[in-house]
Amino acid sequence: MIAASLTLGVIHVFVWVKRRSQYAHLLFFALALSAAIFGAFELAMMRAQSPAGYASELRWAHVPLTVGVLSVVWFVHFYFDAGRLWLAYAISGLRLVVLALNFMTGVNINFREISSLYHVMLWGGAVVSGPVGVANPWMLVAQVNNLLLFAFVADASITLWRRGDPDARRRATLVGGSLALCIIAAAALTSLITSGLAHAPTIVMPAVFLVVLAMGYELGWDVIAAAQLAARLRASEKRFRAVIEAVPSAILVVDDKGIITFANAQAEGLFGYPRTDLVAMPVEMLLPERTRVPHAALRQAYARDARARVMGAGRELSACRKDGGEIPVEVALSPMVTEQGLFILVSVVDITERRRLERETTRQRDEVAHLSRVAMLGELSGSLAHELNQPLTAILSNAQAAQRFLAQDPPRLDKLGEILTDIVKNDRRAGGVIQRLRSMLRKEEAQRHPLDLNEVVEESLRLMRSDLLNRQVVASAVLEEELPAVSGDRNQLQQVLLNVVINACDAMDGQEVDRQLLVHTQTTAQGNVEIRVADRGGGIPLADLERIFEPFVTTKVHGVGLGLAICRSIVEAHGGHLWATNNPDRGATLHCELPAQRL
Amino acid sequence: MSMAEPVPWVYVVDDDPDVLKAIERLLESVGLNVATFPSPQAFLERYDRNAPGCLVLDLALPGLNGLELQRVLEQEMSFLPVVFLTGHGDIAASVQAMKHGAADFLTKPVDDVVLIAAIQEALSRGRALRREGGERQRIAKCFATLTERERQVFGQIVAGKLNKQIAAELGLTEQTIKFHRANLMRKMGVRVVADLVNVAVRAGVGATPRV
Repeated sequence: MIAASLTLGVIHVFVWVKRRSQYAHLLFFALALSAAIFGAFELAMMRAQSPAGYASELRWAHVPLTVGVLSVVWFVHFYFDAGRLWLAYAISGLRLVVLALNFMTGVNINFREISSLYHVMLWGGAVVSGPVGVANPWMLVAQVNNLLLFAFVADASITLWRRGDPDARRRATLVGGSLALCIIAAAALTSLITSGLAHAPTIVMPAVFLVVLAMGYELGWDVIAAAQLAARLRASEKRFRAVIEAVPSAILVVDDKGIITFANAQAEGLFGYPRTDLVAMPVEMLLPERTRVPHAALRQAYARDARARVMGAGRELSACRKDGGEIPVEVALSPMVTEQGLFILVSVVDITERRRLERETTRQRDEVAHLSRVAMLGELSGSLAHELNQPLTAILSNAQAAQRFLAQDPPRLDKLGEILTDIVKNDRRAGGVIQRLRSMLRKEEAQRHPLDLNEVVEESLRLMRSDLLNRQVVASAVLEEELPAVSGDRNQLQQVLLNVVINACDAMDGQEVDRQLLVHTQTTAQGNVEIRVADRGGGIPLADLERIFEPFVTTKVHGVGLGLAICRSIVEAHGGHLWATNNPDRGATLHCELPAQRL
Repeated sequence: MSMAEPVPWVYVVDDDPDVLKAIERLLESVGLNVATFPSPQAFLERYDRNAPGCLVLDLALPGLNGLELQRVLEQEMSFLPVVFLTGHGDIAASVQAMKHGAADFLTKPVDDVVLIAAIQEALSRGRALRREGGERQRIAKCFATLTERERQVFGQIVAGKLNKQIAAELGLTEQTIKFHRANLMRKMGVRVVADLVNVAVRAGVGATPRV
């Protein structure tokens, strides 16, 4: 028992050396050590040959006992995190008083004097000594102290039990229960022996050992639990690494100084650096040179208000590979606050392929838009030919008039100046029409320029002038002055407008009267630019208001049904909306809203 | 052309001011008397209905289009021949125009010689129409002064009937027929029956002569 106590004690003193803040281990060591020493005294007492020897050994046995009691009190206090502090101090103080009385009164605190020894035979045949003598009246103090100790332990155990979780309850039962039992047993045994009511050896050690075992078990349980926790932590970290490695995007962990502390395999692949190079590298090294300085500032600003977010939304971000190549990336940040400071988990996705697909989609949309534009211009060919014919007519007639004025005798030169001016003007006019046509027929990537939509409206109506006249449609335009510019492709937006105007005319075909078309431009409440094209036709059935924008849906006899679908895709590519409404009285209105260009 | 004939007008209607101006200059260079109008309405409001001339007309115009203006002139019993001058004259429009008596149908841009020839042709046709029209109007005026009985007799004479036959037909005496006959010949300004028949054919009055 002594050896076991010592062993347990030594184990926990090592635990305490590793974990200095865990005083329970130190106190347990003190308890186990004092239990062992007390056990040794008890053994000596049982083998005592004279009453004087017995008395002296009992007196000295109180030293480890006192240390044990103090250890128990403070162990309970720290380990249970319960018990009344004043009681703990009172017990500690009183126990020291008892120790003092032990040395100052009688032969020890238990006996005033020991007159003789009796011998008791234990099971197994060993003969041990027991004391016969007069009880020390001061022992009452020790008994009171035992009572207080019992009260303290019971109170602390109940508090612990009330906390309710199974661990705490087991601890309260096991440690508290064994302590209480030990105190009662020791106090009762001592009282019986000292009063001479029982002839028994003073064998408190088994009860104390029980306490040591219970406490050792509990503490050991804690140590095991800590070890399990560490194992679980390792497993969890392993899983974390496995997850990080399995994620399809490159992951970096960057500390608050911008130094990379971790990189996964994808990061190696993406940036072209081996992991050993990436770790400890400043994160700015992975950026194109021109963005390194501004990035460092942005990073510091981010660290001040770290929140999970996608970086540079709506901006083109590039990363720089080891070989100097730049790749478009998307970056998500999420902060991790740890004891070692702020770390930022950076997830980087290579979006080269996405960009390529986007470009491909844009190219295809432009191509379809171009095809549809060519088809539409075919439809308008009569009108366009007329627009060319007018200036050509003016040029020819002017020139021939000039010839005739010159042929007169005497030649009339006075008219030549204005005639030439008109010829030049009309030549330019014809050239403009041809240029517009070529530009609309040309197949090229959509380009964004600041555009005055009023101009686009006017030009479209001009191009369609003859068509409108032939169809006897009266077109009028109410254009807002100082309309904000929009950023867009002139050809594509003109295509949308022409298409919508042709549709409006078609809607009024076969209608004898009221063939009117009104084009409005205005700034919306949100600061966008809206074009409305209103006709006075039959309107659009409610069910078709949205359907007309689907491909291959047409209400016309000769239509393919692509026009409005393409128009919508064009407008949406410009960040705008195209939709239809019916007018309150008659006809329908097509609305095209485009974001105004920010200055 | 007699000296008393007033100078004919060439009216040009086109909504394109540049074209209008150029045609005006071309026609002035050959000494024609030109008046230009940007729209059919402006033309109808301002052209001189009593003066001789012709009209050079675009087809696609705001408000009334060219064909509609031609129809209005027809209803006004105008003697103005119309030369259509259009950007893209489709066959349907040209057939329509010619059916309603257009003098010519030209497409832009038009060569000066062609245009001027067409205008000259239209002007002379206009003169003939006016003359014919003037004669017809005179006859119609005379015809309007005839009494109901005189008109009946007129029809019978033109049909080639003798006085005796007419008297039997209308249940009158031959003497009464002779009286009516003398009156209507005087009113219509003719002396012999042959002239009366001629007038009836030209003006389309009286009964259609029986062949």
